[in-house]
Amino acid sequence: MTGTFLPLLIVVPLVGAALGVLVPAAVARVLLVLSPVLTTAGGVALLVTHSDTPVLAHNVGAFVPGIAIPLVSDTLTAVMITVTGLTTTACIAFARITGEDRLRFFPALVLMLSAGVNGALLTGDMFNLFVFIEVMLLPSYALIAMTGTWRRLGVGRLFVVVNLVTSTILLIGIGLVYGVAGSVNLAILTEMDADDPRFQLAVAVVLLALVVKAGVVPMHGWLPRAYPATSASVMALFSALHTKVAIYAVFRIVQTVLDGAERWTTPLLVLFAVTMLVGAYGSLGERMIRRNLAWQMIAGVGYILLGVGIGTQLGLAAGLFYMVHHILVMGSLLLASGAIERAYRTHQFVGLSGLMSREPLLAVIMALGMMSLIGFPPSSGLFGKVGIARAAADLDGFRIWLVLGAVLLASVGTLLAMSRLWANVFWGPPFDEMPSRGSGRAEPPTVAEDTRVRARTLLPAGILLLTSLAIFVVPGPLWELCLQAADGLLDVGPYVEAVTGS
Amino acid sequence: MTVLPITVAILVAGGTYLLCQPGLVRIVFGITLLSHGANLVLLASGVSAWRGEPLTGTGDPSDAGDPLPMAFVLTAIVITLAVTVFMLALARIGHDDDTPHMPDTGENHRT
Repeated sequence: MTGTFLPLLIVVPLVGAALGVLVPAAVARVLLVLSPVLTTAGGVALLVTHSDTPVLAHNVGAFVPGIAIPLVSDTLTAVMITVTGLTTTACIAFARITGEDRLRFFPALVLMLSAGVNGALLTGDMFNLFVFIEVMLLPSYALIAMTGTWRRLGVGRLFVVVNLVTSTILLIGIGLVYGVAGSVNLAILTEMDADDPRFQLAVAVVLLALVVKAGVVPMHGWLPRAYPATSASVMALFSALHTKVAIYAVFRIVQTVLDGAERWTTPLLVLFAVTMLVGAYGSLGERMIRRNLAWQMIAGVGYILLGVGIGTQLGLAAGLFYMVHHILVMGSLLLASGAIERAYRTHQFVGLSGLMSREPLLAVIMALGMMSLIGFPPSSGLFGKVGIARAAADLDGFRIWLVLGAVLLASVGTLLAMSRLWANVFWGPPFDEMPSRGSGRAEPPTVAEDTRVRARTLLPAGILLLTSLAIFVVPGPLWELCLQAADGLLDVGPYVEAVTGS
Repeated sequence: MTVLPITVAILVAGGTYLLCQPGLVRIVFGITLLSHGANLVLLASGVSAWRGEPLTGTGDPSDAGDPLPMAFVLTAIVITLAVTVFMLALARIGHDDDTPHMPDTGENHRT
């Protein structure tokens, strides 16, 4: 595979999106399945290529480096494309099984979303990062407005306003970077003096916008409100793509442009530790399955970004490993919750009870997913947390205790939140003995005696969970890839060489 | 030289004030002001007061303004315009952020 293939990862879904509007709905639904499968295959091909070529770059249209639109792929990009492609495939499979992809513009919008994600992961230029993030967000606005409960109409406004204001801040930051450095090409920015305060300020504005999009405390409030109002498959899609693309950009920009953030280690570690704790304990106030999980997403953002805070090779690799684990497990849990909603028409605690004896397969999937989220074996979560703890052990003095204490306390919070979810949804009396279903405002949905979650709606969640379990059994290959990706972030020489061609 | 920063400051201050107001239409106006502020910041990074137009045949290329930020601004304007239209549509559909009853959206599908 050479660099000239890189634009295909963006063009194929984008053309698919255009076709998705034009062709009959049945054909569009085939395109919808085809595109993420091809993306995943492309990601795997990139991973294979990067075992001997560290970086692939392509200047679109063969313009001069610095003026051209650069697309760059290294191990970090390839890992992200593979994992997001896999999770997107699972979400789309779920949407297909439940019939959600029959909404007329659903295929076109999801394809455009995945084109934006691939573009944001591949681009080597800050302004194109902004453009691709917008390409990713615009279809998301429409997806929020058309799927889920009617609550989405109020929440859609929140999501649009937060993201648009954040994008404006990102744009101002990029303008400032251009003003200071005269370029927004990441490879050229590596030559800038990272100690120049004007340059630091400009990059800081860019990073501020990215951490708001990632959902870092105290800018997290929009996430647990907006996401659960959409349907389960769209929420799983957003959870795998949106916040993770922002985190990817933070990894990339902090390491290549600022040469790490050593001076800021302590404030960053405190910030991310607070994010983990707020996210982990935030679930305790929620009474719906997916709102519970949305808070755990914020905790996950904290864990992943600890990798940047620590900033060593081990730290970056551990953060990346945690990101892969988190995308898979969160996707699995959200899709399993979607299967519950499909059968029982609610994801409120008050409307669900005693599912453990009623739905053994679902209970197994959810239980393993929750254990993975907490960090218990047998799941990828164990190694995710072990990696972060190991990387933290290389820090000095009180920082070790800060990180380890936060990991421990946040895990306890997740454990409490998950046991609360389990006790409410999976334990308790069977449906016909429940005092009342529904929240009191609306008629409780009636559950027939023979209502069961269909096995095939659990298939996508099951596949994602199996991937997580496979990572527990054989963590070696993924860990090697993460170390390789961390090397690519620390030594930007090959990256610069591939982009500028010198 | 001070006109541009002062204009940006006024636009951003006004935009922030409007964003804090209730009602989506005010917020839309606020976002419009904010994005104009952002566009001027972008322009300021390329076209400073002492530079000429970046057109061939109108002078020495080394004196011409940088055309790249103008391309940035153009892209940003298009994106903001699209989102503004979408937000105005949202303002028309719902009544407020805590819409207590299901509004009539003309949909008939169940998801």
